[in-house]
Amino acid sequence: SKLLDDRGYGGRLIRGQNPAILFESGVRNRIIQSYYWKEQCFGLNEATLCDRAAQLKYIGGTTGVNGKPTPFLCLAFKLCQLVPEEGVVREMLNFEVDEDEDDENDNGEHGKREAEAEGNGGIENDETEEGAPPTALANIPLPLDPEATGRRGAFKYLRCLAAFYIRLAWEPVAIHQTLEPLLSDYRKIKRKTKEGYAMTYIDQFVDDLLTKERVCATSLWRMPPRSQLEDLDLLEQRVSPLQGEVDMLDGSDGEGVEEVG
Amino acid sequence: RQHLVATGQTGEVTRATVEEVHQRLLWLKRKMDEESKPEVLDLDARLEMHRE
Amino acid sequence: QEWDEEDDVAEIDEIDDRDGIDPEAEYAAWKLRELKRIKREREAIEAYEAERAEIERRRNLTEAERE
Repeated sequence: SKLLDDRGYGGRLIRGQNPAILFESGVRNRIIQSYYWKEQCFGLNEATLCDRAAQLKYIGGTTGVNGKPTPFLCLAFKLCQLVPEEGVVREMLNFEVDEDEDDENDNGEHGKREAEAEGNGGIENDETEEGAPPTALANIPLPLDPEATGRRGAFKYLRCLAAFYIRLAWEPVAIHQTLEPLLSDYRKIKRKTKEGYAMTYIDQFVDDLLTKERVCATSLWRMPPRSQLEDLDLLEQRVSPLQGEVDMLDGSDGEGVEEVG
Repeated sequence: RQHLVATGQTGEVTRATVEEVHQRLLWLKRKMDEESKPEVLDLDARLEMHRE
Repeated sequence: QEWDEEDDVAEIDEIDDRDGIDPEAEYAAWKLRELKRIKREREAIEAYEAERAEIERRRNLTEAERE
């Protein structure tokens, strides 16, 4: 494969290097030899890759005795081959159905977006709300969703895939700024492990990407610690959606964090 | 099969724009919604969806 | 689609990844995870500051000893 042949590689680079080296050589070889890679990933571009990603049912690295790569990992490798432009990656991460593209659907999935509707929204909103009873699921007010921006992305496994790619390919400040809002996306996801399947959550997966050294059979390149980026004024301190609550507890009594839960 | 997908001898594919990716996802979302609850749609609505 | 139909089709169905089945519980579980992250961050900052204070203390100590 051209991607793996360093001498002849003329494609896009990530941090000045061939993106293939973001994956370990053994894993790389198993991806390229896998049936999924050969049959499902050939010739994909950014748009057709979404067809595959929309069908993902779990995240994961390699599994079984042979270290078989998951479709998730194969698609991540494909993304590294494509090195999509930033806007495309953001679209994969945060895809939403805009109000005016969404006439026939007025159910729960879309209700969430009202919290962050753009200023021009008004008219379409009225239309959809008229038909729905006031008690509709979509209208249950916040506590369930403290930061609506963290719950974008209609295809949650595509969202995870884009997040994984961002961690591998982008720069530290952009990684933090782009991925941290997902720490309040608590939707469930399945993860394939060596033993079988396990339940995890988007926020948990993103936290792993930001704090662990190894995720999905891939060693994550070492980022400078967040505190260092803050010291250099490259990043603001992260404010959790729960910060207000935590501060209130702190106010009444020093060690608030342990007492909640 | 390969010559169907590849656009040139190099095996390079045509890159998609942000708008194309958005439209693709929109289409996938509609397809998914349609598959999950086809019973609520009457024939007219169905035709409407397919006209995209 | 055969690549996806693996030997463990039954196993994958043991995990239910549908959302909104029990919204309160799902939110509460997230809240717990988020609070743990806040706590972890705080402890990291405290450890970092303690480490800096210790370095500072030692440096002052040796300077004092030198005089």
